[in-house]
Amino acid sequence: MSIEKRILARELWLAAARPGDIVKPLWFLLLVVSMVPLALTPDSELLAEIGSAMIWIATLLALLLNSEHLFQSDFSDGILEQWLFFNRPLAWLVGLKLTAHWLLHVLPLILLSPVVALMLSVPGDVSIALFITMLVATPALTCFSGLGAALTLGSSRSGILGVLVMMPLFVPVVVLASGVLIRAMDGSETLPLLALLGAFSVASAVLVPIAVSLAIRVNIGGSN
Amino acid sequence: MRWRWFHQWGSPRWFYERAGRWQLVCGWLSLGLIAVGTIWGLGFAPVDYQQGNSYRIIYLHVPVAFLAQAMYGAMAVSAVVLFVWKMKIADVAMQSIAIIGFAFTALALGSGAVWGKPTWGTYWVWDARLTSMLILAFLYLALIGLRASIRDPDQAGKVCGILILVGVVNLPIIKYSVEWWNTLHQPASLKLTEKPTMPASMWIPLLINILGYYIVAAYLVLGSMRAILVERERRSSWVRELVKRV
Amino acid sequence: MDLEPLKLKIARLSCERDYRLLFDSLAFTLDAGSILRVAGKNGAGKTTLLRTIAGLYEIQEGEVLVGDQPVSEAMNRILYIGHRPQVTGDLSVLDNVKYMAGHDDTSLKFALDSVGMLGFHDSLVKELSQGQGRRCALARLWCSDAPIWILDEPYTALDVSMIKILDDKIRSHVVNGGICLFTTHQVPTLSEFQTLELGFVD
Repeated sequence: MSIEKRILARELWLAAARPGDIVKPLWFLLLVVSMVPLALTPDSELLAEIGSAMIWIATLLALLLNSEHLFQSDFSDGILEQWLFFNRPLAWLVGLKLTAHWLLHVLPLILLSPVVALMLSVPGDVSIALFITMLVATPALTCFSGLGAALTLGSSRSGILGVLVMMPLFVPVVVLASGVLIRAMDGSETLPLLALLGAFSVASAVLVPIAVSLAIRVNIGGSN
Repeated sequence: MRWRWFHQWGSPRWFYERAGRWQLVCGWLSLGLIAVGTIWGLGFAPVDYQQGNSYRIIYLHVPVAFLAQAMYGAMAVSAVVLFVWKMKIADVAMQSIAIIGFAFTALALGSGAVWGKPTWGTYWVWDARLTSMLILAFLYLALIGLRASIRDPDQAGKVCGILILVGVVNLPIIKYSVEWWNTLHQPASLKLTEKPTMPASMWIPLLINILGYYIVAAYLVLGSMRAILVERERRSSWVRELVKRV
Repeated sequence: MDLEPLKLKIARLSCERDYRLLFDSLAFTLDAGSILRVAGKNGAGKTTLLRTIAGLYEIQEGEVLVGDQPVSEAMNRILYIGHRPQVTGDLSVLDNVKYMAGHDDTSLKFALDSVGMLGFHDSLVKELSQGQGRRCALARLWCSDAPIWILDEPYTALDVSMIKILDDKIRSHVVNGGICLFTTHQVPTLSEFQTLELGFVD
């Protein structure tokens, strides 16, 4: 089996062995969304206005939670350092891992979003816009959360540090995505912004794994 | 000759001694400049037509806001020096600037809030500049946190360096996107900019203050770097000599 | 399986960590078929040296050449087993070896049989003892064609029978032209090896 197949296969095996890693963020999304009407108002009209933004925020938080297990356990187990001995560029393997992570752990969240959109009375066309925006934006977010996870590998008791690192990098994506949602709610043209978001995601997917691989090398180089 | 000068910077002891002298110069110079600028600005500059006397906060706010951003740029340069030339002094610079830069950012946010109250009635608005400044504060905080959480100084330096360089590429993107987001929601201008036409008696003290604050930042960074150097090189002979003399 | 004969050359290697100079201007060459034991007290720098030679640490000064390539370009010719478990507790023994070695099922089963873990191939590694987990990690040695083996404390938690199996495997590897570097705190059971003693430098 080639190295790429082995890494992807292992991600599948891990997903099967640790189902909680996939299910917990979904529960988190559901719980947070359920809190919104309780904390704010059950008034459907008001909920519809803020609903899509709330779902976005809850998804972002779930993403941040998700990223904690991206590299840490493989780092501690010594699996990550073995990647350096494979005959492949580390950034390529990082890209593979992040892709697998997106497919297995982020995509379920996106698939759940229409359901929670219903719960918050978000109108149908906005719900569709939300779904598409998440599809386009989350690759960039996954890459940045990978960067946060990789940077904090050598940190003791890092806790919220990874989140703090990722947060500023999320801002452009969040802003662009909210722009799309506003246009969707207005009924105006969303395609140009989506295209920009997509371009940003593609650029991140190509460039950020390089930074992630550098961070991984530095942290392996500092550990025994 | 040139290379020798460049490589001297690699010597902690050389830097420690020189920096001590530069610090002295910077300290007195900045004290003078800030004193002149502040007293002139607070006491003698004309009253603003629209904002009355409350605009005078710009004599603090504008310099520290400039510095908060300039210092990030200085960190980025240090990060490049660290990765390309592997000089440890660049790492010491990064460490110092992170803390002092954060302090300036906090000052900028605080003074911005103080300005906001009399001008629009609230302490905080989500305008483009303040929001960008807040995100910059988070970036600085992340750097300080990363540095504190990694035991080995070389490793910490490289990890922080990666974040700084990623941040430097993203900062313009972040600023631009925040400005764009702002125009989406606030067509009216709630900007914290000074009016473009200020009489000389207003902007000259501002300029003096800006210069003074830049030099004060240099003074603080130099001092911090010397302290960090002594701590890092504590096992070397020149530090032991130093301690004995004291 | 005959391996291509490679020389491992270390020249002027120095390393400083945590403000301590661990080794200075270290130089030696290992020809194909040699075994080197790196010895020294705790903290002398054995792990650091092994990890530097393996290419995991950035070389501060000096060079490590595998054949005529610097180690950073030739890491796929090295098999490194370090302190960390190198197995994933949540996965089964077979899945772990499948991931690490990637060969077809027959070779994998042979490898597992060689380390005495064939009966456990469906068990999750976290349910096994530490010694059994170590055996799983060592199964790689039967599936690899890397000429240079760098083993940091491979004998930890192994019982007498497994120690003998490991020794036999190392011997057959070097007879085929491979090189092996190892450290151990126990009394070494291998016979023909050179020793590099690391000491404290003030």
